[in-house]
Amino acid sequence: MAAITSIKNLRLKFPGVESLLFKDFSLAFKKGEKVLILGPSGSGKSTLLQVLTGIIPKSVEVPMKAEEVCTPDSWGFLFQDPDTQFCMPYADEEIAFVLENLQIPKTQMESLIRHYLEQVGLDLDDTHTSIQTLSGGMKQRLAIASVLALEPDVLFLDEPTAMLDPEGTRDVWQTMKKVAKNKTVIIVEHKIEEVIDFVDRVLLLSDQGEIIADGSKQQVFSGYKHVLAEQGIWYPGVWEEYLLAQNQSRAKPAIDKAMPMISLDNFSGYRGKAKKIEVNRANAYPGEWITVVGKNGAGKSTLLHALMHLIKVKGTYQIFGNDFKKLKTISDYAAFVFQNPEFQFVTNSVYEEAAYSLQLEKWPQEKIECRVEKLLRSYKLENRRNDHPYQLSMGQKRRLSVASAIVKQQPILLLDEPTFGQDAKNTFSILEQLESLRLLGTTIVMVTHDSNIVKHFATRYWHIENGKLAEDGSPAEYIEKEALLTAVD
Amino acid sequence: MRLDFSYKQTWLHQINPSFKFILIVILFIHILFIHNINVMINYMAAAFILYVAFTGHPWKRLLIISIPFVLLFVTSSASMIFFGQGENTWLKWGLVHITEESFLRGLHLGFRGIIFATLGVVFSLTTRPVYLFYSFMQQLKLKPKYAYSFMAAFRLIPIMIEELQILSYALKVRGVQHQKGVAGFFKKLQSYSIPLLSQSIRRAHRIAVAMEAKHFSATTKRTFYYQIGFSKFDILFVMYFAVVIPASYLLAIHFPYFPVTDVRFQ
Repeated sequence: MAAITSIKNLRLKFPGVESLLFKDFSLAFKKGEKVLILGPSGSGKSTLLQVLTGIIPKSVEVPMKAEEVCTPDSWGFLFQDPDTQFCMPYADEEIAFVLENLQIPKTQMESLIRHYLEQVGLDLDDTHTSIQTLSGGMKQRLAIASVLALEPDVLFLDEPTAMLDPEGTRDVWQTMKKVAKNKTVIIVEHKIEEVIDFVDRVLLLSDQGEIIADGSKQQVFSGYKHVLAEQGIWYPGVWEEYLLAQNQSRAKPAIDKAMPMISLDNFSGYRGKAKKIEVNRANAYPGEWITVVGKNGAGKSTLLHALMHLIKVKGTYQIFGNDFKKLKTISDYAAFVFQNPEFQFVTNSVYEEAAYSLQLEKWPQEKIECRVEKLLRSYKLENRRNDHPYQLSMGQKRRLSVASAIVKQQPILLLDEPTFGQDAKNTFSILEQLESLRLLGTTIVMVTHDSNIVKHFATRYWHIENGKLAEDGSPAEYIEKEALLTAVD
Repeated sequence: MRLDFSYKQTWLHQINPSFKFILIVILFIHILFIHNINVMINYMAAAFILYVAFTGHPWKRLLIISIPFVLLFVTSSASMIFFGQGENTWLKWGLVHITEESFLRGLHLGFRGIIFATLGVVFSLTTRPVYLFYSFMQQLKLKPKYAYSFMAAFRLIPIMIEELQILSYALKVRGVQHQKGVAGFFKKLQSYSIPLLSQSIRRAHRIAVAMEAKHFSATTKRTFYYQIGFSKFDILFVMYFAVVIPASYLLAIHFPYFPVTDVRFQ
């Protein structure tokens, strides 16, 4: 069968980078194929998709040369970030935007908009719904609907679920399986658990932009597992293997329950006048790792904000027996790591960033140097010391944000989805860092969607439901509950 | 954080946005040539009627929006009142020299500022940006390239507000304390603007690519989801001003508040 899209001897180089990203790269896809492209970050997966569609060099100017680029006649492209693929404020207007581009008469638009929304399972009472009010998973499905409006033969998906929670991820892939049955689909994705039964061909790229493997999923997954692990790809079974390799049964040391680090009683947090989070009674002890779980918008992040006293709070909140109102600054006792590390950076170099809090405290220069050097080494950032924090890779940024938050060695560490969007390698390295802090007696309170973290790293979980702490249990209880839920399904 | 900005549709919302825009610009120019303070006061009342009664927004919101009007009035009138020329001296104290003429001229300027603000706010409260740009494309032949850029940019504003909130939390958590004074202000400006701008630039670039991936192009023709036309409300809008402007002049002649017909210094 003839190839529906192909490139021959592609050479491509980003300005300012010394080496070629692709050198004499050739690739072809057949009609109806479902292909998954894997590779470490920086291997040019997204760039490849953009070349195959002609976005490079038509929309994004990147110097490139190829003997032949054959782009499909009709294609659709689904991007990673749900917030940056819409140009209109309302759902119907966004799909209408595509229909306008295709010069479809106004009279047909309304029924077509309904048709595409139905296809992706978005049952909006009113198609004129503000996109801002949709959840991430719904936004991505709306994006699929607007891509379907192009009636494409080939779909290009560039990590469409990287920024979604597990529920949204599942919804997106279920939708995709339904709507793309007869289409050619080319997918770049890190989290492959949900995609794997959808694709039939897997391509593995090296960080040099070369094809390491190209074949059926069975071939690639059995023959190249070590490469997948090395590249930090979330292949199925990566958690099991990691836990097996760790083996030295991570005996969780007895938690010292003499004195709670955090003690909450009738505690509530407010945004404006509205009560957004409520905790009847909860304690957290030194050496505990508490994962905060719950649906999107349940109030998980709000709980952390309340503990950090970023929002108005009421009730009893004691840190090591002291009422929080009597403490001068909570940041002496608790460190906070945000979801987007970039917002946390306040200086112009990695070193300065890590040293910032200590310099505010007016530590002697030698002591700062000693502490920061040690910290940068243990977070594998010593080689990037003089770079601007924005120049780091995703994983490095995350590590720096944790390092600069804990530099004062506060006894409490609050984290808002620190492993979000990270590959397997980065995730495990962050978790190990946190584990070593926990062993030193730090109390960790961490918001996460990853049930594996709850099961294998946490010592306890808090389940937030509708702005209330609804459950407080051990990982064993969590596993039991999860088993019960799947049994019901 | 989501801002609730719901309102009731009124006849002002139904007016063709391009038409409304052009008419208000003409009114602005006309107002520049009014020198009779009595006319100005009547004119202001007419603008207020639109603002208070016909924007369809709750009165609480209208009240909040009108707070800056006071500031505007004070700033635009004060310097003229204190330092303007005049013969009939009321108060002289160092550089400050208040005369009857300068006082009235100051009030006049303040009222003019308020009319500008009121009409401008009436326009923006009763015009959805999306309709405005559709109308610009259809009636004024604005290139879709520009219209859609603006519409996409409007989408970024709420996202930026949300980010600003997170950023201020983050800076607080890091213990950033801003110094006072000019240097502190610039430092603060820097710590907010660089992360916000870098996020926005990246976002804008991604949106642009996404738009082109959806076959948006500057060259081909396009159809329109919203067909913006004209209606009886456009006539009503013209009629409103066709009545209130002559009425302002007539009232000013027959029932003046001040015995002055030209505030300019002769």
